[in-house]
Amino acid sequence: MTDPVRLPLDLPDDQLPRVLGEALAGLYTGEPRLPARAGGRTAGLAALHAWTGEGYAGRNFLGGNVSRLSMYLRHGMLGLREVAAHARAVMRGRGRDEFLRQLTWAEFYRLVLRQEGARVLGNLEDPKYPARWTDTLPDDVRGARTGLPCADAWVTHLVRDGWLHNHERLWFAAYLVHWRGVDWRAGYALFREHLLDGDIANNALSWQWVASTFSNKPYFMNQENIDRYSGGRWCRTCRAACPFRASYGELETQLFGTQP
Amino acid sequence: MTAAQARRVVWVHGDSLSVTDPALSACPDAPALFVFDRPFLQVVPVAFPRLAFMYQGVRDLAAHRTGPTEIRVGAVPDELAAFAGAHHAAELHVTRNFTPDFARIVEGLRAARPDLRIVIHEPERLTSFDGPLRRFFGFWKKVEREVLHGEPAPDFPRRGHR
Ligand SMILES: Cc1cc2nc3c(=O)[nH]c(=O)nc-3n(C[C@H](O)[C@H](O)[C@H](O)COP(=O)(O)OP(=O)(O)OC[C@H]3O[C@@H](n4cnc5c(N)ncnc54)[C@H](O)[C@@H]3O)c2cc1C
Repeated sequence: MTDPVRLPLDLPDDQLPRVLGEALAGLYTGEPRLPARAGGRTAGLAALHAWTGEGYAGRNFLGGNVSRLSMYLRHGMLGLREVAAHARAVMRGRGRDEFLRQLTWAEFYRLVLRQEGARVLGNLEDPKYPARWTDTLPDDVRGARTGLPCADAWVTHLVRDGWLHNHERLWFAAYLVHWRGVDWRAGYALFREHLLDGDIANNALSWQWVASTFSNKPYFMNQENIDRYSGGRWCRTCRAACPFRASYGELETQLFGTQP
Repeated sequence: MTAAQARRVVWVHGDSLSVTDPALSACPDAPALFVFDRPFLQVVPVAFPRLAFMYQGVRDLAAHRTGPTEIRVGAVPDELAAFAGAHHAAELHVTRNFTPDFARIVEGLRAARPDLRIVIHEPERLTSFDGPLRRFFGFWKKVEREVLHGEPAPDFPRRGHR
């Protein structure tokens, strides 16, 4: 057994990367740097109180007003109950109900983990199409060099911010599993490495939801969907041979061989 | 310390990084320990910002409690056993999480310190639902009222009995 390493608990942020980086040498990937959002209950509460949920009903748009509270919820810095209470108090109408429903997904996944245990790390059900997935994450995906501006941006955002909008997570997962034929566990591992909110329950079970091993059909998108919900961010100037440019029916046949 | 109250320590893990954590709230004066899990991090890649985020979480809770808080790097069961020993603790308090690692660490600690009483606090829940789960939609139908209005649903429908 190696000697225990004790860390001071009063490190200011400007010394944190260096001191923590030395104490944890060999135990992390990437460069020692501060997270894009500060950790801790105090920071979490400030983020919660600053958030009014205005326009949350448009949450599926990348520019939509989502809370970005997931990393605080994941580490118990905020509780689901107090976040729900805040939403009930400050939000109105459809956005309020929609937000509370999203929070309930987090509770649902926690309870599925409680019920299934380590089984959530393997396929909970058979995929709903004849899938032949490979295990390894392709280098061009990891390196954000696929040549697709959107897909490369999803990986870049993930690594840079430690957070991705839900729609970017969905698109990336569908791209990796259905278009590239990669087992969802490779994507799960990449997310776990970089997401500040990465956990077992939400992460593994969301991947399984996309892959159709914990849902009735695979999730996928087309170019129109990416264009619309990203506000044309990548598509307008894109010159790549777009693998997503087709109708849902055509893509269904191409990717899954059938139209359910 | 009264005779009735055993000496306690608290284990703070990555799902409970808040002064409001049930185990910490139950033992506000007890020494608490957070451990960066060396064997785990050696095999599971995690980018640095996430570890810094967790450090900031422990730093924040340490500043908000009366009892002392420590942070170490090592094998979690070993560090907890040593910490409990150093504080002559008879009880270790922790809040449950549902990860396989939690169960593994608790087992490891039981094996290392059979005399130490491990008190497991239940984590906070959003709903009171306790049945089996399969799809979100069915779950949502059961908890919708409770979540939207913040009050528990009645246990069983009162009408419609044959
Ligand atoms: C492939 C994939 C992997 C994911 N991995 C994780 C993960 O590791 N950790 C994680 O917390 N979330 C994960 N999610 C769910 C979701 O994308 C994030 O919770 C959400 O984007 C966080 O942003 P927010 O806090 O602004 O969410 P908001 O829209 O503001 O929602 C508030 C809270 O509700 C919960 N929530 C919202 N949407 C979902 C959802 N679809 N599923 C579960 N909970 C939700 C989160 O706790 C979130 O913080 C994943 C989704 C996908 C598709």
